[in-house]
Amino acid sequence: MKTILFTIILTLLVVSGFSQSTEYYQAMGESLGKYASCKTADDFRALGNQFERIAQAENEQWLPLYYHANCNIIAAFIETDPVKKDAILDVAEKSMSRMLELVPEETEVHALQASFYTARLVVNPMERGQKYGMLSGQAVGKALSIDPTNPRARLIKLQNEMGTARFYGKDPAVYCDEARQLMADWDNFKPKSQLHPNWGKDQLAGMLQSCQ
Amino acid sequence: MKCFLSLLLFFITLQLLAQTTISGRVQARGGERLPGANIYLKGSFDGTSSDVDGQFSFKTQKTGSFTLMVEYLGYEPFVKEVLLNGSDINLVVELQETFNKLEAVTITAGTFEAGDKKRANTLNSLDMITTAGANGDVFGALQTLPGTTTVGESGRLFVKGGDSDESKTFIDGALVQTPYNATAPNTSTRGRFNPFMFKGTIFSTGGYSAEYGQALSSVLLLKTNDMPAEDQLDFSFLTIGAEAAGTKLWGSGAVTASVSYQNLEPYMRLVPQNYRWNHAPESTSAAISIRQKAGKSGMLKVYSNYDLGKLNINQLDLNQNKMLDYSLGNDNFYLNTSWITPLSDKDILTTSASFTSDVDQVAFDTTHLDKQLRGFHLKQVLAKELGDKNTLRIGAEWMNSFTEEKVRLSAETFRNSFNVNILSAFAEAEMYASNKFVVRFGSRIEYVDFLKRANFSPRFTAAYKLSDASQFSMAYGWFFQNPSDDYLFYTNKLDFERADHYVLTYQSLLKGRTLRAEVYYKDYRNLARQGTGEFYLPETYNSNGSGYASGFDLFIRDKKTIKNGDYWISYSYLDTQRDYRNYPEMTTPTFASKHNLAVVYKHWFGKIRSYVGVNYKYSSPRAYNNPNSVQFNGERTLAYQTLDISWSFLYRPNIIFYGAVNNLPGFKQEFGRRYANVPDDSGIYRSTSIIPGSGRFFLVACFITLTKKGDQNQIDKIQ
Repeated sequence: MKTILFTIILTLLVVSGFSQSTEYYQAMGESLGKYASCKTADDFRALGNQFERIAQAENEQWLPLYYHANCNIIAAFIETDPVKKDAILDVAEKSMSRMLELVPEETEVHALQASFYTARLVVNPMERGQKYGMLSGQAVGKALSIDPTNPRARLIKLQNEMGTARFYGKDPAVYCDEARQLMADWDNFKPKSQLHPNWGKDQLAGMLQSCQ
Repeated sequence: MKCFLSLLLFFITLQLLAQTTISGRVQARGGERLPGANIYLKGSFDGTSSDVDGQFSFKTQKTGSFTLMVEYLGYEPFVKEVLLNGSDINLVVELQETFNKLEAVTITAGTFEAGDKKRANTLNSLDMITTAGANGDVFGALQTLPGTTTVGESGRLFVKGGDSDESKTFIDGALVQTPYNATAPNTSTRGRFNPFMFKGTIFSTGGYSAEYGQALSSVLLLKTNDMPAEDQLDFSFLTIGAEAAGTKLWGSGAVTASVSYQNLEPYMRLVPQNYRWNHAPESTSAAISIRQKAGKSGMLKVYSNYDLGKLNINQLDLNQNKMLDYSLGNDNFYLNTSWITPLSDKDILTTSASFTSDVDQVAFDTTHLDKQLRGFHLKQVLAKELGDKNTLRIGAEWMNSFTEEKVRLSAETFRNSFNVNILSAFAEAEMYASNKFVVRFGSRIEYVDFLKRANFSPRFTAAYKLSDASQFSMAYGWFFQNPSDDYLFYTNKLDFERADHYVLTYQSLLKGRTLRAEVYYKDYRNLARQGTGEFYLPETYNSNGSGYASGFDLFIRDKKTIKNGDYWISYSYLDTQRDYRNYPEMTTPTFASKHNLAVVYKHWFGKIRSYVGVNYKYSSPRAYNNPNSVQFNGERTLAYQTLDISWSFLYRPNIIFYGAVNNLPGFKQEFGRRYANVPDDSGIYRSTSIIPGSGRFFLVACFITLTKKGDQNQIDKIQ
């Protein structure tokens, strides 16, 4: 009897010990599921808040910070008022710097850093083009130097290059072969877990449509 | 045992049933609803965001004592301990705005700030470079701002009725004794520094901080760039010269070295000139700049520049009524260092120092004039944060300058020199009562050994924010400066010259539109005067001069109304008179224009990746003195007008082509007349008009930047 009692107590202890972790997976899974239904900048900021709540409870995890920053970067792209854009990016910046402290050698973080700089750039391309274009290029270069196969880093590099080509009146189609190659490689890259970043294929598909 | 199990089950069930609903509303002080605030229980995943009306509601299974957090950007977080036991919680959360110096009211009286910070500036660094007509000259660009008068035969800064030596330039806190290139008499000069070196500019046209002394009219504060981003090579090719610069980074530091050569000879062969040049202006310079980070936020900056200039122009000598050659050789060395050391989170110590050596060798007919200036400036400033709303700055400085003039005539040589030490200390406190109201008061004491005199200057400014977009700012202060070098060669019995400033400014910044209006009054006293005695006698000079300047400045900038267009309009009205130097009476000085207008327009043509600038300037006629007339300063120059255009073409991200024309329509420009020192046989002072070197000025240039790592794009584009 004692053994049974002991087992029950032990099980309960273990379950409660794991419960936070299970809750983490549940909360992350549930939040990631909401991406699809977000449309406005406010939707993305609200989802960002949700990730921020997870981040504060699980302060050694970088993934909630990643999605928090990601949601706010998307919100900044959607937002049209330049002052608000910068304010939203200030929110993202906090998570970006925290992540770079936690996981300084994580490819995904550097790739996201590149999108972050691009978002700063589009607030005022005329004044910020030079500085943030260079920072974005450096961030994506750093990501690819850690893992040259990372599809999101490759995607952001392609987006930057095609954007530059378009701006300088060159035909961005010269990058189409590279884009097709990336699509072919896309599924070879396996995210480390269900919760790890796995976005970008849709954007690439959209990019490829303009290639035809 | 059964009993134990059912008890356990009971507790588990209880826990499941104990669901608490937390709801309420988030608002700012004053009732404004805040949507999108993050509301959560600290350490749990439970929470929500507030909706458009600031309302929120969420359920939690947690029981016991928790911390409820409400966070919203720009506001202090709200923290409250709550007990979760199944009974609903409803509360109104009132958030208080974070005190943020970037968003708080700022002191704008008399001050124009340009920089790359996110804070809304009236101008940014790029403006300094792309303003048509300035052709990359910092001082030229500043002359499109209100409060300045364009004096074509000088090119220097003349601010709010002040003479050009009443404006001082500082780089990273240290004085620049010779900010302008040496030029022939009555020809326009440019600044010595490349505007690309600076990340920020503060141009204060009155009422500035107690940190700055020895300037009656204005201070220009230039902040050099911090760490460069990557190794790079820069090349510039201009119709008047070329420049090459290289930047190398290491872990925590970087060095940039540059050489440049300018020669107007080929240009002057192509474009007809009003004067005959025996040796077109030619200059060779080398500069080095070092940046070294020290610790987390410490930084050492060293900048050094060596400049060698030469020219020879054929000018009419009115005294002898014949053409004579005027030759000038200039040798300038400048060293500037600044060292920022954080002593703690709240205290920052900044040490800055500069050294200048400048030698001019002038030859004119049989006269040789050798002019030498050697000086240094040492300054240490401690900035102490007292709470997040108060800052105290205290500092001390030592300025030294040795000036020598040797006049060699065929028969004899005259040598005059003087050495001045200025010791000063200042203290200044800036206090924010709230986001809306700030005051800054300071005082400064100076002792000058050469004059054996000391002065004390109080300074006071305050700013009040009327709304998010608009604010009032005022400034009052006493400003002192040593009398002109020309007089100190012969006497040290003079007092400090003094100007009292009264400035009131209104500024409104609204979504890409800026409006500034400023009224000011300046009271000048103790200005140095030259009496009728012999120039080399100390008794000839006194400090009995006086004057005033009052005026109204208007600045409008609009980046919004025209898509891809950006313009600003500056207008200044100036009423000034003074009795100083050799003036026999109170009269309007020769460098003052009553009306000054500048209209600057820039347009970005995305399709052709071009930035086109047009700039129109007008200054009403200035006074000049005709010794043949009984009325002093009774003559009037032509009104000054110019229309300049510039075109920058971004060929590749790293290759820019630039073309500019100054005075495109060829407006007639004349800056008065100069006269012989003595009348000729018929009793008339001979004269000739002062005109610029040429009617128009053309410039074509190409700027190339090469980088090797990081952005792969750029390499692709170079091929």
